[in-house]
Amino acid sequence: MTSITKEFTKGLWAEIPLFRLVLGLCPALAVTTSAKDGFGMGLAATFVLVCSNVLVSALRKVIPNEVRVACFIVIIATFVVCVEMLMKAYFFELSESLGLFIPLIVVNCVILGRAEAFARKNAVLPSLADGLGMGVGFTIALTVLAAIREFFGAGTLTLAFGDTVFLDEPFYFLQQAPGAFVALGLLLGFMNVVNRLTR
Amino acid sequence: MGKYFNMIKVLALITLLSGLALGGLQQLTHEKAENNILKFKKIPAVANIYEAVEGKKLGDKERETVENNLLAEKLLVELEGEEEPTLLFVIKKDGKPFAVTLENFGAGFGGDLGVMAGFNLETGDLVGIGITTLSETPGLGTRVTEESFTMQFRGMGPDKVLKVKKDGGDIDAVTGATISSQAVAEAISAAKEFYEKHKEQIAREIGK
Repeated sequence: MTSITKEFTKGLWAEIPLFRLVLGLCPALAVTTSAKDGFGMGLAATFVLVCSNVLVSALRKVIPNEVRVACFIVIIATFVVCVEMLMKAYFFELSESLGLFIPLIVVNCVILGRAEAFARKNAVLPSLADGLGMGVGFTIALTVLAAIREFFGAGTLTLAFGDTVFLDEPFYFLQQAPGAFVALGLLLGFMNVVNRLTR
Repeated sequence: MGKYFNMIKVLALITLLSGLALGGLQQLTHEKAENNILKFKKIPAVANIYEAVEGKKLGDKERETVENNLLAEKLLVELEGEEEPTLLFVIKKDGKPFAVTLENFGAGFGGDLGVMAGFNLETGDLVGIGITTLSETPGLGTRVTEESFTMQFRGMGPDKVLKVKKDGGDIDAVTGATISSQAVAEAISAAKEFYEKHKEQIAREIGK
């Protein structure tokens, strides 16, 4: 049982996708202009990650090695389209603001990476834990990055405080693409400092 | 041979199952998604045209009433020679039908671009347009939804050529978004053609 817990928790800090593995940057930089979008994107990716990890792991003995990546992509794409359809039916506003980036989850390296590096070599339960841990880690990372960009860049935090405006003259730069890189870089640096201090 | 056959078999099977699952889910969610598009995309686009007709911005409350009225008075008519029924919205002025809107599509940069076009029932002039669905590049193509672009269509008569200036027409394209602007122009001219073709029947249907 301890190994399952380990598979889960490694995604939260030691191998947190965005900050440690530095994977999944495209959605991370593109949709993190508001904490709401970042959180929604994280949840969508988590759903796909968990489902694809479980299915890939369950089918790992059936899928021939030569066509494995093609099979993984079909499986991942299926779940992504599921997410897209469900979002359009039940979370329309979110699907509007995430737009193109929902279908792009298909090519998110975190998801294919976990299928290739973990799920195809491990049993279903550890794969589930791995997917869930990575997904939660990805969600936390996106939400934190998005919250920072939204708070300082737009002066609001709609996820938690609705329409309240905190800063009258926000630092707009953070809302734009270069600002995303800067915010991400600062967060990565912060993670490194914390890591060094706790070692 | 056995190895290759196995590869094909597994991949084909996975793809087949995926297709079936998605088809099933599509059936389940289709209606809800369509309703959302009607409520959050089509109606607001018609409300934008309504604002163009009235020549003023509506407050949130006023707009909500207008949207509810439009939704309640939507018309689904079977036009002669068309396979699918057409969804029409009627914009009233002083209680009388003034303009009718219909939606058409153009080929945008990231897929179909939907435009709602409103036509004056008497003159056939464009009264305004509203963008319904689009998947254009954020920050570039999406700027066709801005009023600086959409408002230029207001009051365009039959003498105007519904093409962007680059193609010899009368429409100012959004800088950096030529393809998206062309798609809007294409959708509107298709809508206009459609309206001209069916205008007698549309007038009858509204009069009923």
